[in-house]
Amino acid sequence: MALPTGQPDPTLDRETVVRVTGRDLAQRATLEKMRARLLCAAAGFGVLFGAVAVKLSIATVLFPMAPAKRQIAPQVPPIPKLSPDGDGAFAGDFGLPHVRRATITDRNGQILAISLPMAAVFANPMELIDATDAARKLKTVLPQIDVDDTVRKLSSKKQFVYIARDIPPEKEIAINDLGIPGIYFEPGEKRHYPLGRTAAQVLGAVDVDDHGVAGVERYFDKRLTKDQAPLRLSLDVRVQGVVREELEAAKEKFSAIGACAIVMDVRTGEIVSMVSLPDYDANLFSKAVDDQRFNRAVTGMYEPGSTFKLQTAAMVLETGVAHVWDRFSTVPIHVGRFTISDMKTDHFAPWLAMPEAMALSSNPAAAHMALDAGAKRQQEWLRRMGFFDRVPVELPEAARPLLPRMSNWGLSAVMTVAFGHGVAVPPLAIVRGTAATSNGGILVKPTLLARDDDAVSASAMPSGADVPPPVLQPVSATTPLPGTPTAEPEIVPQGERVLSEETSSLLRRILRMVVAGPDEHRTGKAADIPGYFVGGKTGTAEKVGAHGGYLKHTNITAFTGIFPLNAPRYAVYVMLDSPQATKDTHGWTTSAWNAVPTWHSIVARIAPMMGLFPVTEGADKIEASLSISMNPPVPPGFHQLGPGNDPGDPAHLAALAKQQKDAEKAAARAARDAQRAAAHPGTTASAPPAPRDRREAAAGPAAALRREISYQVPAR
Amino acid sequence: MAALSRSDNSILGRWWWTVDRWTLGCVGILIGFGYVLMLAASPAVAARIGASRDMFILKQVIFLALAGLVVMATSLLSLKGVRRIALAGCLLALAATALTLVHGVEIKGARRWIALPLMSVQPSEFLKPFFAVVTAWLLCEGKRTRAFPGMLLAFGVFGVILLLLKSQPDIGMLSVITCVFMTQLFIGGLNLFLVGCGVGSMAAAFVFAYTVFPHVRSRVTRFLHPEQGDHYQIDTALQAFGNGGLLGRGPGEGRVKDLLPDAHADFVFAVAGEEFGMIVCLFIIGIFLFIVARTLLKLLAEDDPFVVLAASGLVCGFGLQAFVNMASSLHLIPTKGMTLPFISYGGSSAISVALTIGLLLALTRRRTRASRLDDMPRAKRGGAARRMFA
Repeated sequence: MALPTGQPDPTLDRETVVRVTGRDLAQRATLEKMRARLLCAAAGFGVLFGAVAVKLSIATVLFPMAPAKRQIAPQVPPIPKLSPDGDGAFAGDFGLPHVRRATITDRNGQILAISLPMAAVFANPMELIDATDAARKLKTVLPQIDVDDTVRKLSSKKQFVYIARDIPPEKEIAINDLGIPGIYFEPGEKRHYPLGRTAAQVLGAVDVDDHGVAGVERYFDKRLTKDQAPLRLSLDVRVQGVVREELEAAKEKFSAIGACAIVMDVRTGEIVSMVSLPDYDANLFSKAVDDQRFNRAVTGMYEPGSTFKLQTAAMVLETGVAHVWDRFSTVPIHVGRFTISDMKTDHFAPWLAMPEAMALSSNPAAAHMALDAGAKRQQEWLRRMGFFDRVPVELPEAARPLLPRMSNWGLSAVMTVAFGHGVAVPPLAIVRGTAATSNGGILVKPTLLARDDDAVSASAMPSGADVPPPVLQPVSATTPLPGTPTAEPEIVPQGERVLSEETSSLLRRILRMVVAGPDEHRTGKAADIPGYFVGGKTGTAEKVGAHGGYLKHTNITAFTGIFPLNAPRYAVYVMLDSPQATKDTHGWTTSAWNAVPTWHSIVARIAPMMGLFPVTEGADKIEASLSISMNPPVPPGFHQLGPGNDPGDPAHLAALAKQQKDAEKAAARAARDAQRAAAHPGTTASAPPAPRDRREAAAGPAAALRREISYQVPAR
Repeated sequence: MAALSRSDNSILGRWWWTVDRWTLGCVGILIGFGYVLMLAASPAVAARIGASRDMFILKQVIFLALAGLVVMATSLLSLKGVRRIALAGCLLALAATALTLVHGVEIKGARRWIALPLMSVQPSEFLKPFFAVVTAWLLCEGKRTRAFPGMLLAFGVFGVILLLLKSQPDIGMLSVITCVFMTQLFIGGLNLFLVGCGVGSMAAAFVFAYTVFPHVRSRVTRFLHPEQGDHYQIDTALQAFGNGGLLGRGPGEGRVKDLLPDAHADFVFAVAGEEFGMIVCLFIIGIFLFIVARTLLKLLAEDDPFVVLAASGLVCGFGLQAFVNMASSLHLIPTKGMTLPFISYGGSSAISVALTIGLLLALTRRRTRASRLDDMPRAKRGGAARRMFA
């Protein structure tokens, strides 16, 4: 073993030489093979570990799989920062510094929705020293917890148990002061709606993660989380409160299944109030049923009924198809098995001029107006007035109106749409249209946001202790009354001009006549409030039943009005769904008996609130400027529409259509003959092209009307 | 140790100057990593199973200290000693493995463990190194002595092991032992055609296992079709690697590791990935490769076929075990519960790996080349049995 290897043993040399043959050679060869294969094995391991190294670099650097958030989220909540002024959190000053979602206020800064900083208390039972003692101490601050249950939770072998959620900051501090190790707080916030039911559907709600899921909360979700400044809505909670109160009372009184009211500034489109009943406490959104969450003002699709006659009148006046002195037939129109007529008890003259036709709300008269204009003009008009699209308002719930197919807009559609049947639009669209007819002819965009330069009108409104002297209502916008303390700068409506100033002025008078005209049977009689010069249009639409037919005595009644008409400021709309007759209404369920009085009580209360006071001086002069004769004189040079001159008469139209058809037929025949004669004298040519409206003509207006009725199913 | 003089002729002195100090150093580094990663990985696991936080750490300190001693003690053995220990150990381990089928503790559907006071033992862990040495001896003797049916005996023992492990079942261990056995046959100079046959039958056996054992099937299916079934464990492991990135989150800063099932054992490599990042993981891979490659290349200069076969068998087993662990935590192969030598938690594993390395160091110790000239006549005179027990 210890032989010096450098010196070969001479005695062995020979022996070795002799032995290195045969078996030894074979062994050497075997060893060589082994070495080669050892190298192979080493290379094999090189490949295996190389693969691991490659996969490792893929998994860590090249294409790493990102860990889930919950896996790497910190287990201990961050230490709350002190407020910038230094003496915040520990000085008992519980300001609201660290909420993420902005407050929503009404136009006067009254809080509608606010996020309150709330904490959840949780414990790590593994860190607790004495569960029983901890539970007993916690009970002193949190009376709502059950001691036994908490002890059980705190004794479990978990690392995380909730003890209580949504506790206010002062309790958080109190628990913190107990100094129990293993108790932690998870910061959070909770959306609170201090006014409960007020504007619940408009405000909407947030989900548990504070994402808006409905209403303004949803529409402005990004804005509310990005910008901490309060979101100022155009709503006025005082007005909202009154409107809700009056509407609720009316709903009770007439046992209606639902109701809706809107107050909108006709100059700016600001929605001052929007009420939909039944409603719910906005803090209990999750417990509200669908009917309560349903915002009738923008999602509800209702046949507008006679309120739509205002649009029909505006259309014929603006397009020059008819004039205010033209007279229209009130004789029932028979279309197939349907009859367009007025109520049996009405004893209308067979021909009425436009003001009286509107004041008495005659269906055949409106139908005749529309017939004079025709389907194309009617569609164009309604599209221009925004009735064919969603109302552009800041609510995700704004829905599309229900309309007859454009290809199916026949004579019967023209007639029914003229008095608000066969179409279903949301109440806000009606309000917008009403505003445009009276504000000088501008179609404003309804908005729920307060105007930025609204400081003037805000200060003009009495609020809190420092009530400014009441502002008297200016008689006219152009000539403010002398002695007015703060003359408001005139706000010019912004938007597309859809009516001329003259037409608008004419329509204002017509609206006034509906309320305060000389006619004893005028429908808006109950709306009048002395000194406010209100005007409007009633509407009663029979509801469509489950089987597609109209239900007698189950109505949607509405009144859409403007006040004051001498200087229009607000459009107010009231709608009652299925009001019942009471003793006072003598069995009537039409608008004049329920929606109109409700409108009256609402406006009588909110007008002073909004800084408008009844005009006592020069009322007669204003009244005179707003009235129009029931039978306006025909100026020279005009041929009055009326008996004997009725281009829209169905019989006349039918004759025209027949003539046209005959002419077409003759032309086709002539063309065919010419063709035959020219090219192939012996062969028969193909049939002439059918007139486009052949099918409709064959089926008759009754079929068309029946088809249209299928559109009339209300939105819900 | 460095204080030992070259002229120190004591057992320890001679050991120090003849042992493969590079490999020894690598083992020391691995044990160091084992401690650090156990501190990182085990508290969460301990908390999850409701044990005291430090239980795993304290136990592993003892296991690794024992392992170090075993490495030292075993590497002091002479070739003769190695053979004796291996033969005895192999028989004992076989018996114990057989005992698991009767008295085993069933964990997750397999009987692999024998419960002893203080700890439970997995006998098949010990079978692996001992069987490698015994195979080497049988193959060598078969070549040396014509009358000795070495190859046949080796296959016989392998067959017994195959039966035992299939019944447990422990397909992972069986495949590692089979791979080691095949490698030894290959290095031993088996006809390449026969080696090919061996590889073919392994593939066939794998297909067989796939059809017979449902847990094998489910793991392979989940590996091949990642979109199917539950792969929480492997996803979490990959997320741990992803969270680590190049440089890692830093010691004790890992978060995903707390959610990783078996973080202290089968997925300890993922903990290393999360806390220390790719660089350190590459370093660990490098150490394993270094041990394997260095040993294999060193054997090129070795003349004794027994030493070559035994050492290559041992080091292959060691390397394969490390590969299977790291590759399965990286989703390179289907998940297979196998420990990472010296780093994963586990007493059986630590001691068995220590025995492997100890035997390896004993085999590769620098011997004065006693040369075949001295050896030959004795061999001629001796014979298989005498060589073994001389």
